[in-house]
Amino acid sequence: MSVRFIHASDLHIGRKFANIPQPQDGNIRGRLMEARHGAIGRLAATARARAAAHVLLAGDSFDTATPSPVVIRQALAAMGEARDVTWWLLPGNHDNLREAEPLWEEIARDAPGNVVALTDAEPREMGGSAVLLPCPVAFRSGASDPTEPLVTMASGEGMLRIGLAHGGVTDFTDSGASIAPDRDRSAGLDYLALGDWHGRMAVSDRVHYSGTPEQDRFKHGRRGACLCVAIDGPGALPQVEEVETGIFLWSETELPLHPRQDAAAALDAILPGAGRRDVLLRVAATGWAGLPDQVDLHSAAERHAPEFAHFELVTEGLGTHYEAADLDEIDRGGALRLAANALVTEAEAATLSEAERQVAADALARLYAYVREAAK
Amino acid sequence: MKIRAITLDNVRRFTEATGVEEIADGLNVLCEPNEHGKSTLFDALQALFFKPHGSRDKEVASLRPHAGGAPEVSVEVETEEGRFTLAKRWFQKPFATVHRGGALVAQSDEAEAWIGRLLGGDAGGPSGLIWVRQGMTDLTAGTKKEQDAALEARRDLMTSVGAEVEAMTGGRRMDAALARCREELAIYATSTRRPKANGPWKEAQDRVEELTARHDTLAATAQELHEALAERKRARRDLRDLEAPEAAEARRARLDAARKAHAAAERHAEELEAEARKVEMARLTADGARSRLDSFRDTLTERADAARRVAEGEVASNVARDRLETQRAVRDEADRAHQAAETALKEAERNRNLALRAKAARDGADRRKELADRIEQAEKARSAMEKAAAARTGPDAETLRRIEALAAAHATAVATRDATATQVIARYVEGREGAIRDGETPLPGGRPVPLPRATRLTIEGVGELEVRPGEAGHDDRSVEAAAGKLRKALDDIGAEDLEAARGAAVARAEAARRHGEASAVLASLAPDGIDALREALAAIPESEAEADAPDPEEAEATLGRARAAHDAARLARETAIERLSDLRDAASGAEATLASLRDRLQRAEGVLARSGDLSEDELATEAGQAAAAYDKARATHAEKARTAPDLAGAQAALTRAESVERQARDEIARLKPLLARLDERIARSSGEAVEERLAETGQELMAARAALARIEHEVAVLTRLETALGTARNEARERYFEPIARELKPLLHLLWPDADLTWGEESLLPDKLVRNGQHEPIDILSGGTQEQIALLVRLAFARMLAASGRVAPVILDDALVFTDDDRIERMFDALHRQAGDLQIIVLTCRQRAFRELGGQALRLKPVTVPAAG
Repeated sequence: MSVRFIHASDLHIGRKFANIPQPQDGNIRGRLMEARHGAIGRLAATARARAAAHVLLAGDSFDTATPSPVVIRQALAAMGEARDVTWWLLPGNHDNLREAEPLWEEIARDAPGNVVALTDAEPREMGGSAVLLPCPVAFRSGASDPTEPLVTMASGEGMLRIGLAHGGVTDFTDSGASIAPDRDRSAGLDYLALGDWHGRMAVSDRVHYSGTPEQDRFKHGRRGACLCVAIDGPGALPQVEEVETGIFLWSETELPLHPRQDAAAALDAILPGAGRRDVLLRVAATGWAGLPDQVDLHSAAERHAPEFAHFELVTEGLGTHYEAADLDEIDRGGALRLAANALVTEAEAATLSEAERQVAADALARLYAYVREAAK
Repeated sequence: MKIRAITLDNVRRFTEATGVEEIADGLNVLCEPNEHGKSTLFDALQALFFKPHGSRDKEVASLRPHAGGAPEVSVEVETEEGRFTLAKRWFQKPFATVHRGGALVAQSDEAEAWIGRLLGGDAGGPSGLIWVRQGMTDLTAGTKKEQDAALEARRDLMTSVGAEVEAMTGGRRMDAALARCREELAIYATSTRRPKANGPWKEAQDRVEELTARHDTLAATAQELHEALAERKRARRDLRDLEAPEAAEARRARLDAARKAHAAAERHAEELEAEARKVEMARLTADGARSRLDSFRDTLTERADAARRVAEGEVASNVARDRLETQRAVRDEADRAHQAAETALKEAERNRNLALRAKAARDGADRRKELADRIEQAEKARSAMEKAAAARTGPDAETLRRIEALAAAHATAVATRDATATQVIARYVEGREGAIRDGETPLPGGRPVPLPRATRLTIEGVGELEVRPGEAGHDDRSVEAAAGKLRKALDDIGAEDLEAARGAAVARAEAARRHGEASAVLASLAPDGIDALREALAAIPESEAEADAPDPEEAEATLGRARAAHDAARLARETAIERLSDLRDAASGAEATLASLRDRLQRAEGVLARSGDLSEDELATEAGQAAAAYDKARATHAEKARTAPDLAGAQAALTRAESVERQARDEIARLKPLLARLDERIARSSGEAVEERLAETGQELMAARAALARIEHEVAVLTRLETALGTARNEARERYFEPIARELKPLLHLLWPDADLTWGEESLLPDKLVRNGQHEPIDILSGGTQEQIALLVRLAFARMLAASGRVAPVILDDALVFTDDDRIERMFDALHRQAGDLQIIVLTCRQRAFRELGGQALRLKPVTVPAAG
């Protein structure tokens, strides 16, 4: 009477990562794409290792409604190769039924036998004692709770009811399209496997977001994972195990600075010691730093960046602390100092827009850099 | 410091002590012709202030007189500390001394040091004097050393009132920063700050543009795909609905039922139509029977009526005929009476005519006689007239006058001839008259006889005497001509001579008179000619000798009566004829009426004959039966109509059912190829992975926009920095040159009201003159302008010095060579303006031009007391 399956979602196979800058001779985009495709194999391996016969993919398996044939065929082939596992594919908002109709038709037509496209909101026997209750997403943005039909979806007596749905539990857009967090109780579910949220999140004992098995954004700060769920019988609490499957770590780190601090050293301190090649790092410098410290910070960042899969130093939140000594370094008087003073005034002028202030501040920093450069 | 006196000894041409004294504050002018030592004075002053007394260089050497010797110069100066006398001698026994009121203050090197301090003050440098040499138009003229010294002096001065120029303007570091900034900016932008072709900025813009376009295209394609998907979904649903077996069956059943209902309704309608035709037939039959009966009855009535009217017509016709006959007799009677009256009338008329003729004949006899008489007389008159006419021969008055004129002319010609001709006058003795003869003609006595030609006079008894006139005498051709003419005229009228002619003329006049009288008589008797009288005579009837001619009046009365009788008879006859005509018309009218009535009767009888043996009763029965049949048929038809189904409704239902079926077929026929097309389109679009590419392009576009934003920010930063640096440098420069510019401005405006000068950072001198917004480099200006600026700049520096507490004399050695007289006036104004708190010493050879300058006039003159040695 027990069941064991892998819960995953948001594979977004075929994502191009064109927004990640790629150096002339780099291949980070290709590596990121490859890692997404590789998630299939890692999920299969996880299932095998945990003796789970099913992999439930809670939507957004494909990044777009019309992936290229290469993407589709290779993904289906990879799933087909894991013969001992049944793949249950639910249409999500990216590959919703309406826009991705050809995709689902193709899957229904060409997929290997162990891949099931859940294009209808009909109960499906998973074999054994569990019934899978899928809620496919019909439109990119719906206006109703996609799990609503679960309440009336029938399953045989004594069967485990496992819901599979895609959408948010928090109604950000106030459209009424969010999933009721207590749907497990209202629909009598033993487990509700959710997708859409790329981070891991346990809504309740029976309602879980697995998050994506391979991260694609800086938001969540940890590698992608899947859930291995085991349910002993109807009414029993599911046992949920997180299994890390991600290759790349997307990390956004804050670097708080204050004047007269060695900014380069502070940066060094927060950088990971190993595995930098698989890390995409965004360092957001905040607080205040003097002109020389900023120059140091930037040169340190330039020094470290090539070691990472991707490295980004964000200084929008970093204020410039203007010290007389720094300005003196530009010039103690005369026209250069006159220009520097004018720029300082402008950078701190409350009457100017943020953009204008930023321009003035950066112009001053540049002047400082020129003077330092010339002094060498 | 102010100079009060200068003394030269053994300096060039001044081998005696010579000097200038009483140099005042303000403007001093030494105006001497050339070669009077102005330049010597100038050089000597320079040597005193700048050449150590131990110097033997060529400038000092140039001061020595030709004769040689030790040049000696002394200057009396007044400073804040008092009045000093500075003196120097070079070459032999050189010395340098400073005295104050006769007391030696310093000498030798100490004196040199003292002089140095005096010139430079505590700021150092030889800036105590401002020199302007002859024709020194160039601000930076002079030897390299002089130039450097002057620059140093200016720098010191400027620095003393402001700061180091390098420090002010940022110098090389500023240049480097600006160059760096521009260099970086040039990577992105053109000089006008537009994106540079092939630069990163332009590339980023192009990339964003390209990606936006691509993104839009892909979005449109994706949108098309979505629409195609939606349409396919609708089409599939519609097709499914249409092709569903139960739907098709329902459509078919509906169509069948509608067809059946429609056929039944049509059949019923046909039956109803047949019944209607039956009703019509019955109606026609009934109408026929009825009308036959009616016409039979009408004919009977018609026959009776016609018969009665025929009888009446016959009576009327007979009456009319009788009347006609009677009248005809009356008319015949009237005819006869008329004929009698006519005969009577003719007789009466004949009688009256007869009477009238008889009377006329009687009246005509008298007139005939009278006419015959007149004719006779007229004949006589005519005969007289003819006789007179015949007698009317002879010349008329005119001809006679002509003959008389010819006769007169002849006489004149004879007289003329005789007057010239030889004349002989015979005077006969008594009794012997006529004894002399010309031929046979005796020669008259007592009167001259002309002898126009040789004439032989026979003298009886004597012989002959031949008288011959002179040869050259006369001729008598004119007499012969006149005689010829006369003769001919007389011959024409058949007269012998003039007398005969005259007699003939009288006879002619008599005959004419008689002819006129006869003619008048004839005219009175027969104005129209005798023939007219004869005709009138013929018109008068000759009397008929009828004795029994009736009396005309009686005949006339008889005629009147006969005419009245005739008129009455004619009237009676005409009346009778009219009456007869009327009656004839009436009779024929009655006949015609009767004939038509007979026709009527005949027709009626014909109709009755045709109806054969049918009786009126039989016809009535037949009509009744037909009417009953008609009523029955009508009732049957009404019943049929009442139970008829709604054919139009059935037709409409059928049409609808058929159209539903047809629409379904058409829709299926439309949807199938549409679906095929959509399938194809979707397959193609999804095969092209449009969404995937759209997502990718979207991400690329975002990245490109971020890159563009970064570059735009970079450009903004660089532009801002460049502006800040440029502004700051200009500001610093202006601040640096502000003191000297302030001094110079009022002077400059004396010459050029709106002009300004820009300053070179390196030379610390004006480099450009700005007039009307035009920047003109100083070195391209005219010589006059250049020297004016040079002078004004020096005056300004002098003023700056004065303002900083170091009053320095300005010495101008023919400084205004190129300046015209107009400008010179203004330069004089400038000099006077400056002279207020300065000491200016002007050395010039332009005596006339500088007469107007004013100021203290100086003179070079020998001095007795040389400076203390």
